[in-house]
Amino acid sequence: MSTGRDLSNRPNKIQIKDVSFDYIDKKSRFLALDHVSLDIKEGEFICILGSSGCGKSTLLGLLNGLHKAKSGEILLDGTPIAGPGPDRAVVFQQYSLFPWLTAKENILFGIKQSGKKYTKRERLAKADEYLKNVGLAGAAGKYPNQLSGGMKQRVAVARALALESDVLLLDEPFGAIDPKLRLELQELVSSLCTQAKKTVVFVTHDIDEAILLADRIVVMEPGKIRTVLDVELPHPRKRDKLVGTIEYEKLHRKLISSFYAHVEENIDAEVAL
Amino acid sequence: MKKYILEPKMYIAFGIVTLLFVINIVLTLTFPYFTAHKAYYDSAAYITVLIIAYVVYAISVHVTGKKSTSDIAIVMYAFFILWECSYKTGIVHNDLLIPSPEGLFHVFVEKPAEIGADVLGSLALLFWGFLLAIILGTLLGLLAGWIPRVREVLLPISNVITLIPPLMFSAYFIMIFSTFRQAAITVIFFAVFWPTFQGTVARVGQIDKAIIEAAKTMGVGTGGMVIKVIFPYCLPGIIKSISKSLRGAFMCLSGAEMLGMNLGIGYFVEKYKSFADYRCVLAGIVTVGVITTLIDLIVNKVEKTVIKWEA
Repeated sequence: MSTGRDLSNRPNKIQIKDVSFDYIDKKSRFLALDHVSLDIKEGEFICILGSSGCGKSTLLGLLNGLHKAKSGEILLDGTPIAGPGPDRAVVFQQYSLFPWLTAKENILFGIKQSGKKYTKRERLAKADEYLKNVGLAGAAGKYPNQLSGGMKQRVAVARALALESDVLLLDEPFGAIDPKLRLELQELVSSLCTQAKKTVVFVTHDIDEAILLADRIVVMEPGKIRTVLDVELPHPRKRDKLVGTIEYEKLHRKLISSFYAHVEENIDAEVAL
Repeated sequence: MKKYILEPKMYIAFGIVTLLFVINIVLTLTFPYFTAHKAYYDSAAYITVLIIAYVVYAISVHVTGKKSTSDIAIVMYAFFILWECSYKTGIVHNDLLIPSPEGLFHVFVEKPAEIGADVLGSLALLFWGFLLAIILGTLLGLLAGWIPRVREVLLPISNVITLIPPLMFSAYFIMIFSTFRQAAITVIFFAVFWPTFQGTVARVGQIDKAIIEAAKTMGVGTGGMVIKVIFPYCLPGIIKSISKSLRGAFMCLSGAEMLGMNLGIGYFVEKYKSFADYRCVLAGIVTVGVITTLIDLIVNKVEKTVIKWEA
């Protein structure tokens, strides 16, 4: 059986160097990330896997620039990230399309923000193309409130791709989508990102989703990276063909055990008391 | 889909309205005056009003297909019949305070130029005061909504000012401004500016955080945020508030005009009040009702065509 993509000789796209972050309110201080380091190769698809509250969304917030690290730094192509910018497209978990724009206009907004010098005609053609790629050619004139949740996230993905950034950051984008549609969207994102050679950081709490999508899975426990696993399954991956194979089951078991390891440790600690 | 053919049941109501309309016309033309001292006026203006009302009803009942349209028409024509009969039979005795419907609507034939000029005068004042207030109120509201420090200064101040009825300022404005025109525009401005400001601040505060964050990650800067994101997001709310503020503005304007203008429909009412010509006073009041309703209709129409989405 063939293995996954070999990216070891690619240059680093993103370098997370010894990054810490804490949330401070009046009474308390919560350390969300504690000296986290990670290198991400160009064109790599990384899934950050963890239960809620482990700091995975915080890490994504640092990557997209909405949060600022307390210490350490994040380099993008060797330059420190100073804030949010169109060089890193983001798909959020919450619906974040602009409600006053149609599906197509939302994508056009992304195209304009990309800073690329296209003529109006080119922009319109590109918008149509992105809509077609996410399977929504017929919904161009619809406003977000006329779209279902799954359709909204498709448009959000198209808008993110329209920025034409090298890096794509997704924060549990399909968390609120029902399982059948979810699978469709996962396969869509996987194929679109591989085609466009994007460097992707995809945050999720769904083990199957991570296996389906990732070149490497970063398992997090509160504040820290617990382990990083390579996914050596051939592309394109289809969920129905993967489930039941030895490689898949092995990986799945490994992930389960590391995913729940800290939970067991916590329970042990409590029992010891 | 618009229906142009009514359900069978609705034709019963339509028939009743038509019957009442015909009774109204017949009464107006043939019913004699039972008392000698009543004032006679040419009935042409009143009949025109009855016909216009019937045409408007007939069209709107077919367009909207609502039962209530017929009910409203029935109440209106019943009221007119009652008015007509009670006047002509002499049940109503006070000819000075309660004119006949013919007499009331005849004012529009007697003084069309005066009423027209007064209405236009009012509308011009309304237009300028309102336009200025909406633009500046929205701008300041967007700014204060987005910048906490500006908001924390202006919001408490506006909370105090909006508690004072704007009309109370007019007594003072009339003294400090050189013309009534300026004073009236300022009163309207006061009546509209602060509520618009507060409404806009509230709307900016309600913006979904995810939308702001999405815009930030797409590289939208502070200026772009206000123009390209916050303003379009707030626009439907701003437009929706217009009809309410317009009503408030018109109320203040009429009040201000009564307090010392020399033009405008409020002045018209005030003037004929001092001549004890209550037929004209009532005609002025009816005019205000018609104008505000028309403005409301236009604003609602604009609202429906402009707002294509809801938050």
